[in-house]
Amino acid sequence: MSGISVFINMIMNILSDIVLLIGLIFVFLGMLGLIRLPDVYNRLHTTAKIGTLGAFGVMLSILMRAGFAPIGIKAIAVGLFLLLTAPIAAHMITRAAHRHGVGLCKESIIDEYGEARER
Amino acid sequence: MIRYIPLAAIFGIIWCFVHGTFSLVSFIFGLLIGLLAIRPFRFLYRPEMNFRLFSPPNRIVSIIRYFMVLIKEIIKANIAVAKIVTKPKINISPGIIAVPIRCKTDLSITGIANTITLTPGTITVDISDDHSTLYVHCIDASDPAAICASIRDDLEKYVLEAFE
Repeated sequence: MSGISVFINMIMNILSDIVLLIGLIFVFLGMLGLIRLPDVYNRLHTTAKIGTLGAFGVMLSILMRAGFAPIGIKAIAVGLFLLLTAPIAAHMITRAAHRHGVGLCKESIIDEYGEARER
Repeated sequence: MIRYIPLAAIFGIIWCFVHGTFSLVSFIFGLLIGLLAIRPFRFLYRPEMNFRLFSPPNRIVSIIRYFMVLIKEIIKANIAVAKIVTKPKINISPGIIAVPIRCKTDLSITGIANTITLTPGTITVDISDDHSTLYVHCIDASDPAAICASIRDDLEKYVLEAFE
């Protein structure tokens, strides 16, 4: 083990901690939005976007810590699956909610989807 | 069955990622599982459409550019939603608006719908029956024309270049 590889290892560990912290902050903000925003559609904004980036940050942190060992490759595969499937889940939930007659919150100003479905 | 082998090979590569080791054994294992997984769902695949993605070489450049735009927009989206969430008083005017799209193929419509969901303040709700209009829920729908214009100029251009 030369000095340079120890140094690179240390840098990667610090970067991994920073990315983990950013990911956890975004997960926290996503859960805060889930509690504070008014209706199902607005709440999905936070879970679909912030939840995705937060979870992806945690997975990226595992990759930086473990390198291209099996655990790191698994983590990045999970992150990419989340990035691909979270929008589809949000899309299906909003569509199902609207079709079941879950109304928009009272602050809403426009609903062209409801108008189009009534026609 | 023989024409599903290329698709099963993609499953094999994905299995290598999920398993964490890139070896011939895990690739062949994934390929066999892929064949089993494709069999019940084969009516969903249209093999003549699936491998057009990589045919022109300059297509790769526009796909890479699309992913760079996507990453930039995801980070912008997260900061925008985080700002809304952390404000002491939540003051939003949400709504569902209709956005006309130019994409024609299934692949590019899927791409634009997922991109819209991951970008600032918008979620795709549904598509109209004739595949010409997306219904998009916006967290700030006070100016529908501006949202349509930003989707058309900032996102759809790259999706059209990359997938059509």
